[in-house]
Amino acid sequence: MYTLHAIPDFASLIVHLVLAELDVPHQLALHDMDKGDLQAPAYLAIHPFGKIPALETPDGPMFETGAILLYLAEKHGALAPQAGDPARAAFLSWFVFTNHNLHTTMMQLIHPYRPGGDAAASLICPVAHDTLRAQLATLDAMVTRDRPSWLSAGQPSILSLYLAVILRWTSAFAHDPALNIPVADYPALHAILASLEGRPAIQRVAAIEGIGPTPFTKAA
Amino acid sequence: MYTLHYAPDNASLIIRLVLDTAGIAYQTTLVDRAVRAQDSAAYRRLNPAGLIPTLETPHGAISETGAILLWLGDTHHLAPPSDHPTHLPFLQWLFFLANTVHADLRQLFYPQLYVPTDATPGHHALLSARMIRHFTLLDSAAADHPGLFTAQGLLLPYTAALMRWSALYPANAPRWFSLSTYPTLAVLLAHLDATPAARTVAMAEGLGPLPFSAPILPRPPEGTAL
Repeated sequence: MYTLHAIPDFASLIVHLVLAELDVPHQLALHDMDKGDLQAPAYLAIHPFGKIPALETPDGPMFETGAILLYLAEKHGALAPQAGDPARAAFLSWFVFTNHNLHTTMMQLIHPYRPGGDAAASLICPVAHDTLRAQLATLDAMVTRDRPSWLSAGQPSILSLYLAVILRWTSAFAHDPALNIPVADYPALHAILASLEGRPAIQRVAAIEGIGPTPFTKAA
Repeated sequence: MYTLHYAPDNASLIIRLVLDTAGIAYQTTLVDRAVRAQDSAAYRRLNPAGLIPTLETPHGAISETGAILLWLGDTHHLAPPSDHPTHLPFLQWLFFLANTVHADLRQLFYPQLYVPTDATPGHHALLSARMIRHFTLLDSAAADHPGLFTAQGLLLPYTAALMRWSALYPANAPRWFSLSTYPTLAVLLAHLDATPAARTVAMAEGLGPLPFSAPILPRPPEGTAL
């Protein structure tokens, strides 16, 4: 049994989708940031910075979204090319790219921190927007060219589920709504997201987290 | 035979150190940053995002330091296998290094990409405080998991490079990093500097006699760091 420390529509959503697709027993430990749950000593023992998500596993607790996703894929031998598979080299390149670059840039678009005040935020966001668009175009071109099985319609992976959530947020929740990025601008990625939405496991998670029936292609 | 596309004192340093330590055969190809070779069509075919390093392997080109380390870990048994109890902390700290520490350090190095000029001091203060918190956590992780933070593993070379760069860059900003604040890692970095692989890499990239425990700005025989 896994316990996922979660807040609806936070990065825990990515792990929730993966647990549901793997069809492994899990429960949610829901937190309320406004009540200070994340800074409680019991939670800081699991995640030293008090962030979401963290996953309690039979091997102990862990944090870092990318690490949790790869751990689950390896533990259950599913949703990613495994060690020794020739496809693993390219898969890891794009999985770490998504974690290290796309996820980081997305956070600047959604939650720009403001050491210089609102004026600085208004400058950070357009830069993050342009960077993100370039990164998404690179990814869309790769999918169009290579048609990798680990990032394709009809076959979910920890990478497609990760991207689906990042695109959900960048399409509707930018700090400045004028900088939202429509998923349809990236046809290959859009097709993958549309195919994920029809899956029963995804629909169940969408209902639990209250993110609507089309959480990736028409986020609201 | 692998080919590592590198620039001196760039993230390729981590991969070079791991390959040399494990005695894995490879050749290097310089990415000449002075002419922005990372943006050339030839390099972008290997690494569409134009990032350094790239490792060419029989399974194709791999980009992203963290991905290359994971792949080398699988392929050459340099990391705990997935059924080992330390696989979980290995993955957690590797992703922490790549996604949290390395990503924050990049923001600290290139403030102009993130904030307007007059916000730079605030940006620097915020990011350097975060980095100190990250290294403090890594120091306790290294104490808790001595078997994971070794010169022969993957986590120590990555940590050592991030600490080296924290001590040196950006050259025109206030200094905030002091290795002695992190007692476990200070000992491990001194150890690492005494290994033949660290000396070989330091010679190849012009990193000075103690590249990790007492870093100095590089004087590479070829290429440029920035």
